Amino acid sequence: MRQMEKEIILNVLNLSKHYKYYKSIFDIKRDVIKAVDDITFGVFRNEIFAVVGETGCGKSTLAKLITGLISKTSGDIYYDGELLDYKDKKKNFRKKIQIVFQDPYSSLNPKKKIYKIISYPAVKNNIIKKKDRPDFAASLLKNVGLDEEILYGYPHELSGGQRQRVGIARSLSVGPELLILDEPVSALDMSISAQVLNLLMDLQAYDKMSYIFITHDLKIVRHIADRVCVMYGGKIMEISPSADFFKEPAHPYSTILYNSMLPYKFKKQLNFTDLNGKNTVPGLIGKEKGAEKGCAYFKKCYASKEICGKNEPPLKDVGNNRMASCFFPFTHQGL
Amino acid sequence: MVYGGRTKTMNLEIKDLTVRLYPKKYAGGYINVIDSVDLYVNGGEIAAVVGESGSGKSFLGLSIMRLNPPDVSEVVSGFVKIRCPAEKEALDIIRLNPKNLPSVRGRLVSIVFQDPNTSLNPVIKIGEQITEAIFAHKKMGKPEAKEIAISYLNRMNIDGKARFNAYPHELSGGMRQRVMIAMAMVLNPCFLIADEPTTALDVTTSLQVLSLIEKIKIESNLGIIFITHDLSIAKNISDKIYVFYAGQVMESGKTGEIMDNPLHPYTVSLINSVPSLAADYMPKQKLFTIPGYLTRDDFAEGKCRFYARCFKRDENCLKNIPLNEISGGRFVRCVKWKKK
Ligand SMILES: Nc1ncnc2c1ncn2[C@@H]1O[C@H](COP(=O)(O)OP(=O)(O)OP(=O)(O)O)[C@@H](O)[C@H]1O
Ligand SMILES: Nc1ncnc2c1ncn2[C@@H]1O[C@H](COP(=O)(O)OP(=O)(O)OP(=O)(O)O)[C@@H](O)[C@H]1O
Ligand code: SF4
Ligand SMILES: [Mg+2]
Ligand SMILES: [Mg+2]
Repeated sequence: MRQMEKEIILNVLNLSKHYKYYKSIFDIKRDVIKAVDDITFGVFRNEIFAVVGETGCGKSTLAKLITGLISKTSGDIYYDGELLDYKDKKKNFRKKIQIVFQDPYSSLNPKKKIYKIISYPAVKNNIIKKKDRPDFAASLLKNVGLDEEILYGYPHELSGGQRQRVGIARSLSVGPELLILDEPVSALDMSISAQVLNLLMDLQAYDKMSYIFITHDLKIVRHIADRVCVMYGGKIMEISPSADFFKEPAHPYSTILYNSMLPYKFKKQLNFTDLNGKNTVPGLIGKEKGAEKGCAYFKKCYASKEICGKNEPPLKDVGNNRMASCFFPFTHQGL
Repeated sequence: MVYGGRTKTMNLEIKDLTVRLYPKKYAGGYINVIDSVDLYVNGGEIAAVVGESGSGKSFLGLSIMRLNPPDVSEVVSGFVKIRCPAEKEALDIIRLNPKNLPSVRGRLVSIVFQDPNTSLNPVIKIGEQITEAIFAHKKMGKPEAKEIAISYLNRMNIDGKARFNAYPHELSGGMRQRVMIAMAMVLNPCFLIADEPTTALDVTTSLQVLSLIEKIKIESNLGIIFITHDLSIAKNISDKIYVFYAGQVMESGKTGEIMDNPLHPYTVSLINSVPSLAADYMPKQKLFTIPGYLTRDDFAEGKCRFYARCFKRDENCLKNIPLNEISGGRFVRCVKWKKK
């Protein structure tokens, strides 16, 4: 793909989501969790944009912000050049952007029959009539590799993987352009995961869909993604074309992620040290006390120097259409 | 932290366990959702149950604890015997008086449920949910219980002190799962059933949780039934693998033997359907898939349960296939396993 052919479909500018919570009932001071902290990036039309990072780094929060399920603290999102505002009914953003959740259990209404769940968004958006629901749902079920026999069943009668595919079918029902997939296959078994990934690649190729694909499985990222976005502590560490990323990650944190997968071998005596050998402080990911000014990854980084604790490295071009927020990109350890 | 070094004989033995499921919409009909399952795990050992979504792995875990839904299912044969130093003699959970079940669950055998959202109470602080689990079995002061809860949270890489008062919705999916594991471990059980404990976790946290499970396993001589759909995790953590399909064990044996030399067509297919990070791997290609998907029909009698999706099937497979011991401790349920 040449650079000039690419057209940006989603533009995220300085987006933040901060949560406040009480440390304990006796403590009136409130702590802030910067779940998503001042991040900026763009997603191209028809691209698979993978977001990776460890638990709690803000991936789901980002997904919820883009789909309007939670309100932002600050920043803006533009979709196809227009300010993304779900309250603006004329713009039909709800039809264009759909989400598939991480968790196939709580995302389906337990009291509704499967065919109703799947066709609900389509009915609501006047795409189909109520009487056409069973046929409509049956064809979507086929698309995601499920049998019609479950049409009149309820979510609790399905296994986790079956429910996740129902969730995907529901999201596809309104013919979206951009799908936000939050760990769509992490609850699925391997052979079905392969089917779903094949399905998603087909939809991208033939229906020109774009995805933000949230996952923590680098094997899948390597297989499916065009670009990789690495998050840590609510910040973006790196955005790189997938092929380059898997040749050589730019950010030290990316290197750690990469090493932990290659080859994925269970390290019996990990003993709660970080994968780079440093002791992990149990606790919140994100900026630790005293590191408010510096790099989010400073405390755990093997490549850090004094400046990393003082200034925050901006996300900047490091060549070859790659971006990294690190003062010392391409510093590798044990690679 | 004292875990009480247990050295005496400890094992969990499942023999011929068959659980019938009567789905409401099939009036009068049933399937054997668990069919003549044999499984054996010693203290200090990890047995992985690996299989397809819908194959009955969670049902197996629930049935071992007698937590299978009583309105739609019943155990029709077999036993689940637990030998634990805390008990004078082996206990058969299947034949245990229901009123004794609460004293067994959590203490002799505990479970980490697959679904953290229905098993964590959304309106109770996570710390309190853990101390509740302690109080249900042990008498101790609140501060002492709180300390234990915090230490277990810390071990799960959650800041126990800061998050003791957090509600489940304030945690990320991965954190909730780790709270669940802390809760299951807090009574120091002899056996733990872990139903997909790392599925929702990222690589680095998953490694830490696996290493924590490994560590507690060694310290308490804990026996673990590790349910997963991810062969690469099973490969790395387990001593034995039970490959599960449609309620039956298709293949079982030592982990190394199964991974190096899979014999059942299903195991072979599974190993082939995972993307790889190898340098010469071509991304964006169609992945190998097992055609079709698991359906209720696969649970029917009179044919191999994998028949509908098997690349090796022929007319010889149209009968009930027994699980054969083909060498010491290695079992395969297939009539054609020999022919490559
Ligand atoms: N409603 C909330 N109130 C307070 N804190 C929250 C809330 N929702 C999320 N957080 C915090 O924000 C951070 C990011 O959470 P998020 O769910 O986005 O993580 P994630 O990257 O999706 O993790 P995972 O891989 O475990 O799903 C976490 O520290 C989490 O505890
Ligand atoms: N309460 C129930 N009523 C009817 N059928 C059920 C019920 N619970 C489970 N089932 C069915 O029993 C079968 C086994 O389900 P189970 O949840 O044990 O699968 P699993 O192997 O754990 O799958 P997954 O990997 O997706 O979690 C499935 O076909 C499921 O649809
Ligand atoms: S018995 Fe037949 S159908 Fe079943 S796994 Fe073996 S070859 Fe395939
Ligand atoms: Mg998440
Ligand atoms: Mg399950």
